[in-house]
Amino acid sequence: MSYRLTLAETESYLRKVARACGLDWGLAEEAGKAARWLAAFNLPGPEFMLAHLQQLAGMEYRSFMPQGSAQPWRASGGLLCPIITGAALADRSAQMLDGEVFKLGPTAYPLLLAATVGQAARCHQTVFTAAWAGVRVSCFENGLSIEGNHDDLLLTRVDAVSCQQDDLSSPQQLPSTLAYVIDEDIVKRIEELAFETCAPATEASRAGAGAGLTDND
Amino acid sequence: MRLARMGSFHQTRLSFMRSLLRRLKSEDWKFKRNLWAIDEQGFGRAVYTVYGPERAYSLVAFSHDLADEMRSDRVIATAWDATFALFDGIPDEADLDRLQQNVPKQEAGRISDTELSLSRANRSVRLWQHVVECLAAGEQPDREQVEAVGYLVRTTAVYGSGKFGAADRLSIADRAEVSAPFQAELLSVWLTRAFSLDLVEHIARARGGAQAVAIDSELRRRFGVGNSTGLGMAPFLINHPALLNNWMMAREEALARVRALPQADAVAIDDFKQHFERACFNLAQWHSEHPIQIEKLAALRTDLESMRSYITRESLVGDHPWDRFYRWAEANLSLEGQEQLVALLLEPYGELVDALTRCMDADEHLAFFIDGAMPIARLREIIESQCRWAIQVDYEQPENRARFWYTSAEKLEPRVGERFEETGAEYELPLAVGFDIKQMYAALKDWQAQQTSAEFLLAHPEHRHTARRVQNLAIRPYAEIQDNLIAADMLPIDILRCKLSFFGATKFDPRSDRWVRICMYQDAPFPHELLAAAS
Repeated sequence: MSYRLTLAETESYLRKVARACGLDWGLAEEAGKAARWLAAFNLPGPEFMLAHLQQLAGMEYRSFMPQGSAQPWRASGGLLCPIITGAALADRSAQMLDGEVFKLGPTAYPLLLAATVGQAARCHQTVFTAAWAGVRVSCFENGLSIEGNHDDLLLTRVDAVSCQQDDLSSPQQLPSTLAYVIDEDIVKRIEELAFETCAPATEASRAGAGAGLTDND
Repeated sequence: MRLARMGSFHQTRLSFMRSLLRRLKSEDWKFKRNLWAIDEQGFGRAVYTVYGPERAYSLVAFSHDLADEMRSDRVIATAWDATFALFDGIPDEADLDRLQQNVPKQEAGRISDTELSLSRANRSVRLWQHVVECLAAGEQPDREQVEAVGYLVRTTAVYGSGKFGAADRLSIADRAEVSAPFQAELLSVWLTRAFSLDLVEHIARARGGAQAVAIDSELRRRFGVGNSTGLGMAPFLINHPALLNNWMMAREEALARVRALPQADAVAIDDFKQHFERACFNLAQWHSEHPIQIEKLAALRTDLESMRSYITRESLVGDHPWDRFYRWAEANLSLEGQEQLVALLLEPYGELVDALTRCMDADEHLAFFIDGAMPIARLREIIESQCRWAIQVDYEQPENRARFWYTSAEKLEPRVGERFEETGAEYELPLAVGFDIKQMYAALKDWQAQQTSAEFLLAHPEHRHTARRVQNLAIRPYAEIQDNLIAADMLPIDILRCKLSFFGATKFDPRSDRWVRICMYQDAPFPHELLAAAS
């Protein structure tokens, strides 16, 4: 069964899933935005984000983060996390705007990395391109272009990724604002994990939310 | 902006309900009740449509038979007297049937990309019965009772922006008529008010037959729509720093423009005085049983008397009269009185301030960006210059971190817990802004001035959310509530009142420190009065 997940719900849910899987709130926000951004182009951002975050759960942040500043960036655990690394690259937008090309070693879900870096393209009104295997994904201020082998978009791990500013003039695709159609079972799993960020009810929480007075008048 | 002042805000000309109605009027929108399929008991469905220059929007209303014991304003309710969706366009029968399957279920149903909001309302039991009985008997309702309550129905939630399947905010962001904040939601509330009056008159007619009467048009205006709002709304302002900044900037700019006027002409003074009298009248109708608000209303009563003396004594002529008036208020009035004056000062100057409403939406994404190249020294400097309110608090004192914000698993709504008395602090939401800023400030001490934010945040991802907020303050000075949001004496109703005042709400009536009732659209024209009939 398919389910229509709105973009707002996509962002909100995946932010919570990221938190439930151990990311701090700031990075969880990046995860939510990236999942939403991909869903707006009908790319499997929510599904990939869920899959990746489940792999992160219970793992040590430091084993997924880029170690040192030498390129290519590598993670001590073997695979770079696309959210942690994408956020670190977005934070280095100024260097990319100055022409620096960032080289990454083995990376999980490069499509998520492209989307996370891509959030900074909008703020800088520029284009950032991530390339891996046979595909180049260019994130515009408000759009997306994909060159090369589209099958490579769906790779769940690659040996190398590069990331840089680009001078493309216009995107192939503009984002949709319509709900993203997704498998209902995946939504259930997303909801379950998102729910883990909620505190179980107590008598105090039930009593505290509303008034001590009657509702009706 | 401090919480105590935010918790004393009044609706102004910039408020979103008022800017919405100004637009509908100035653009010559049309109105039609396209469907009225309500039975003699008052149950069924109806459609109210407004037609703009480019698009139409329709309130789809469902009226239900609700047992008294089921009627609850709490978000944990599962049934309501009436449920609504704002449809993007004009719904056909298939749309209505689909909505009938989902809208009455509210959170348990799903709406679609063609719906802009989802809401529900409960009747005010005592006033509803009174009005039906009077009208059915051919009499007008008792004015005192009408004014004591102020509405026939209370909305208990109005959801928009992609919630429960509704259209995404971005899908309407480029439409001039709904690009300003909460226009779709507030349009639905305005039409809900019309529906509530039509429904009560319909039921009275069914009951009273030929002797039944409609409500006199002047008294009819005294009915607004109630609203009951709890903690669910509170985190919104904290989670939308760019929006909060723009609302505050518009307000401050409007006030500054009026205060900068060298003279006040007779027309403006007369207009001010009329609105002053109206404020006095409104205060007489504004009741609360909550000790905090009782005290604030008493202070406002005294303040309005002082203002009356000031107006008589100073006669509002001379050099920069409004600035002098405001300075006097700062020195002599309570925050309630000062904020009432802010609202009043804007009233005569629509031409000067109304266009500021165009600056009150925001692209929150732009506040999301982190400048990783920013040196640690600059990050510290922003905190030291703009976050004194955060870092001067001693969070070692239990009362300064007594609370925590979390989402309740039971209703998926935000709540406030007592950190040292309840379980669940491990689920804390990132809303302890001041505390978090001080934590980050402490962590920054170990870093060199010339190192970058990017380096710091890669090593300290736990401060990423806060770094975003701090950097944002450098360009959006009003983006943060400058108070301790986890203090023992923090009042969530202050946050609620700030937001609701920007909506245009009146008669704030706290029912606890975290739940407030309000009135919306009281005295506003009805659709059939403001707009010409659509053919």
